[in-house]
Amino acid sequence: MTEKPSHDSDVSFIRALAELLRENELTELEVMREYGDDDSLNVRISRQTQIVQQVAAAPVAHQVAMPAAAPAAAPAAAADPESHPGTVKSQMVGTVYLQAEPGKPAFVSVGQTVAEGDTLLIIEAMKTMNQIASPRAGTVKRILVGDSQPVEYGTPLVIIE
Amino acid sequence: MTGYWPKGYDRIILDEVDSTMSEAARRVALIDRPTWIMARRQTEGRGRRGRVWADTPGNLSATLVFRPAATPAEAARRSFLAANALFEALSLYVDRSKLACKWPNDVLLNEGKVAGILLESAGRGGAFVDYLSIGFGVNLRHAPPPAPGTPFTPVSVLGEGGEAVAPEVFLTTLAGAYATQEAKLELLGFARIREDWLRHAARLGEEITARTGTEAVSGIFDTIDEEGNLVLITGTGRRTIAAADVYF
Repeated sequence: MTEKPSHDSDVSFIRALAELLRENELTELEVMREYGDDDSLNVRISRQTQIVQQVAAAPVAHQVAMPAAAPAAAPAAAADPESHPGTVKSQMVGTVYLQAEPGKPAFVSVGQTVAEGDTLLIIEAMKTMNQIASPRAGTVKRILVGDSQPVEYGTPLVIIE
Repeated sequence: MTGYWPKGYDRIILDEVDSTMSEAARRVALIDRPTWIMARRQTEGRGRRGRVWADTPGNLSATLVFRPAATPAEAARRSFLAANALFEALSLYVDRSKLACKWPNDVLLNEGKVAGILLESAGRGGAFVDYLSIGFGVNLRHAPPPAPGTPFTPVSVLGEGGEAVAPEVFLTTLAGAYATQEAKLELLGFARIREDWLRHAARLGEEITARTGTEAVSGIFDTIDEEGNLVLITGTGRRTIAAADVYF
């Protein structure tokens, strides 16, 4: 249905774009949405990123003492689902279901391979069952939510690698 | 209203199908405009979370399937458009004052369950959903026997003193009412949809219970927020709820 979205829907659209920006580690995103001949919405979102300090650039004389803190932080970042590149995140507030219906097997399990478009789970909001499909082919590395768990915008759901 | 099919919508009427929701999912790749699929008989009608939807000849079983330019959260708000449309369509056949809306998308007739609405959407992580299906089961002629544990007694339009109406005719009324809701959303925004819904809401300002997947929350039904979430005032403060079954 082609429809001119309302202010509400514009806000949600921009919010969804902001989410995309964050998920894909982009710094800037510009989208034009055409509603009709004379009517469009132009959105440009940009994000400030901190300049990563290069440990290697530290003065040579202090090289031994300097990098002590850095290696400890690195593995923690890799394990954090928030920043994992394979993490599928929630785009809505709602309740997670891991099966099509009670008593049925779960859509996916850890270690299983999935194709792009395979259903990973359902998020319900307002009696709307939103099937979350895998954005890519891969292996289910982790399932980060439990059945019937409430989730928010951006909650990490599943890691697909 | 009754005689006019809304412009821009297609209609498919089947004699028999497993479920109009399943049929919608199968056909979605082929449709090029919003399409209503009605079946005179469903062999595997289903409700929320696998509940069986008893199908009886003379009742309406239909699904609207379309591709709204909507985020998952916006797609979910179609629950209220669907409820408003059903409310308006039913009000042509029964006394309007006997109808009420229960969060998020139930329409009650004399406090009984006259219909069920089920929405399904699917997406692959893009900004918008791939598609949205809105299924309607409406007890026009027969009320199924009450299932154990259901707090709202099934009722029918005819059984509550309403007019007899054939499913095909009711479908046209409903499709027109739904098209009006989409036009309102487009022109006036969700705020207007919310206002319409609140005007018909059952138990506003009274105590209700919302049962989520993990708990039961009781409180005064204050309002629905601008996203459609249920807002309850509980003993421990204000609670905003996105998914639950409501009881009273």
